[in-house]
Amino acid sequence: MTPFRMLLRVASALCILLLISGCWSSREIEDLSLYVGLGIDVGKETAFEKDIAEQGGTYPKKNYVTATVQIAPGITNSQSSQQSGSPSSGKTSYSNEQLSGDSMLQIFRQFALRRDRPLIGHHLKVIVVSKDIAKKYGLNQLLDFVLRDNDIRPNCLVLISHHRALDVLTSQDPSRIPAFYLTGITNNSYLSNKILDPVLLSKLDAQMQSGTSFLLQNVLYSHGEDKFSGGSIFDGKTTKFIGELSQTDLEGLSWLNSKKKGGVLKTHNKQGFTVVYEIKKKKVKIIPKVVGNDISFHVKTESEGWLMEDWRAPEEEEKGEYLRELEKDFAELAEQQIRQVLSKLQHTYKVDVGEFRDSLRIKHPKTWKKVKDDWDKIFSTVPITYEVKTTITNPGSSTE
Amino acid sequence: MNGSPQKITTTQAVVIIVNYMLGAGILTLPRTTSKAVGTPDVWISIILSGLIIAGVGIVLVTLCRRFPGKTVFQFTREITGSWIAYILGFAMIMYFMVIAAFEIRVMAEVTGMYLLERTPTWAIIMVFMWIGIYMISGGLGVIVRVFEIILPITIIIFVIEILLSNQLFEIGNLRPVLGEGLMPVFKGLKPSLLSYTGYEVMLIMTAYMKNPKKSNMAMSWGIFITTAIYLITVVMVVGSLSLDGIKTRTWPTLDLVRSFEIQGLIFERFESLLLVIWIMQIFSTTAITHYCASVGIRDLFRSKKIKGIMYGLLPFIYVTAMMPKTVDDTFKLGDMLGNVSVILFAILPLVLLLLSLIRKKGGKHA
Repeated sequence: MTPFRMLLRVASALCILLLISGCWSSREIEDLSLYVGLGIDVGKETAFEKDIAEQGGTYPKKNYVTATVQIAPGITNSQSSQQSGSPSSGKTSYSNEQLSGDSMLQIFRQFALRRDRPLIGHHLKVIVVSKDIAKKYGLNQLLDFVLRDNDIRPNCLVLISHHRALDVLTSQDPSRIPAFYLTGITNNSYLSNKILDPVLLSKLDAQMQSGTSFLLQNVLYSHGEDKFSGGSIFDGKTTKFIGELSQTDLEGLSWLNSKKKGGVLKTHNKQGFTVVYEIKKKKVKIIPKVVGNDISFHVKTESEGWLMEDWRAPEEEEKGEYLRELEKDFAELAEQQIRQVLSKLQHTYKVDVGEFRDSLRIKHPKTWKKVKDDWDKIFSTVPITYEVKTTITNPGSSTE
Repeated sequence: MNGSPQKITTTQAVVIIVNYMLGAGILTLPRTTSKAVGTPDVWISIILSGLIIAGVGIVLVTLCRRFPGKTVFQFTREITGSWIAYILGFAMIMYFMVIAAFEIRVMAEVTGMYLLERTPTWAIIMVFMWIGIYMISGGLGVIVRVFEIILPITIIIFVIEILLSNQLFEIGNLRPVLGEGLMPVFKGLKPSLLSYTGYEVMLIMTAYMKNPKKSNMAMSWGIFITTAIYLITVVMVVGSLSLDGIKTRTWPTLDLVRSFEIQGLIFERFESLLLVIWIMQIFSTTAITHYCASVGIRDLFRSKKIKGIMYGLLPFIYVTAMMPKTVDDTFKLGDMLGNVSVILFAILPLVLLLLSLIRKKGGKHA
């Protein structure tokens, strides 16, 4: 009987092999629409939707939001390119699809009625929320789906667009995918202190949960090009948009932030020529003082940098007295930037988006516990003093 | 093999303890503990509970060593008499069985969410349980050898992966230390103690050790390694995602790994690797509890056919695993198991030890 049993074994082994070696949940990547960018705008029906709705092809919904999904690689056929925001002709590297509705997931599922290839969110890189919708709805409402979804990874970047998010996700160059381009720019944050440190979904979630007011990077758009400029302030309690900080404000803020690297300072020397200082090292110390019920902060910033540009006409060697003088000028300039941003934060918007909150939480946890619930209000009345010291350590490669 | 299982060495005992302890809990541990603590002092709670568990573990092993070569199901009878022994033994068997079911369920839940979204749950569980029964029917020797392969892989991959997240790490998230005094630390003791369930395996394993004298060494090392892994996890998760960031995440450890991408390494994303080793850990926990439950039934009812018992338990484990309707129910089941474990394996061994001392049952330390 051995041959028979042997045969039986081989047969069953083969059967099992056939059964278990396949991937049950596998889906071919060619048959999927990978979306790499997501834009959230105030609801505005596209021509396609209006047309379909006229034919009765709609479902009960209110058009609160319009979601733009950036799919890469784009679809090659010509009919899809009539969508606004997609490059017009030929094979493109991406395509933007828009639908409106009042629930993110419903909008996403609605794509299943229009496209043969289902959307899949594993590779979502960037979410752009327009300022206008962020004024109406809290970010925790708009992004709730994104945070719950099991496809989307929490390392996705969140940006705020000044105008429509759709525009930001559009580029003139059809070979450039705006979503990748935007993530690329945030990686430059070490070069300029005008770019905020990237805020990922996971960090944003933490900030929203803690009720901290927070800053998100702003993106401007003009003629098919994007530019990072300034930041948007969000209220910690409602997570709604409440105001903007300019590029210069961000520079000022970076003097109060120990993590921010890079940046340049420009001043004019006595003769009126441009002199530029590049920050190489920075040490920021925020010292909270608590006396009774009175909280105050003192910020000590020390920076070392290189003198990278000097337009002085008859060139002279920079040394001694001249450098000291410049150092003082630069420090004054930095202090002026700080003054400007603090007055905006404390008086215009009355929110703390700097590191004051953290320093108080760490150094004086007991006081923090008392004030944390309305910290933003208390912060606006807290006296803050600051001193900046800049040192020029290196004149660059040319010394004359 | 049925009558006399192979003996295990001290190192193998350590491997079994660690493999059992690391299970479903590690993915939720940062959330459960930090919710209870409420300050960044979570890691102190973890260390403290590690120490407490080490104490409890030593008591447990001391008890076992008074009855060399006998499992808990055999020697309770000598201490308390048949009737109580039957009740206690039955409770422990139930406990092991439900743990096996719970681990399977959590595994199915996470795999269904992040790995195999469209595979039916029964299919995932079925394969899992079949391989499990294939392994444990080979006896303790086989189990231990598989465990010895699994553990180093787990530790290496896990530690590397968690440390890769250092780009998100901010020390400020872990400060201030003891900002609100010691009270929060104590509040966090309960959930962190629960995550240490698993040391109870020594109630059975001591009987099979080559050198039972070293069982307290095995226990201490097992708990030490687990504590270290838990500590790294909690420190990195809280330090990277911050206390507020993990309160609402269902699986914080997984979210930590999902929060970064590393370009330039062969892999950019590491969550599938984490899930793989984590599934191996769940597999080992399920297998060992299944085995313990079978041994329990065998010893309690003085049966000889352990294989039949193992197969007989399969449907019960499956049905129990499918009982919780929602994820919340599953977590509640986990909490309940933790509470039961405190009674059965922290308080009971002490009582049994005292009783055996008073009634002069069992020999001196083996």
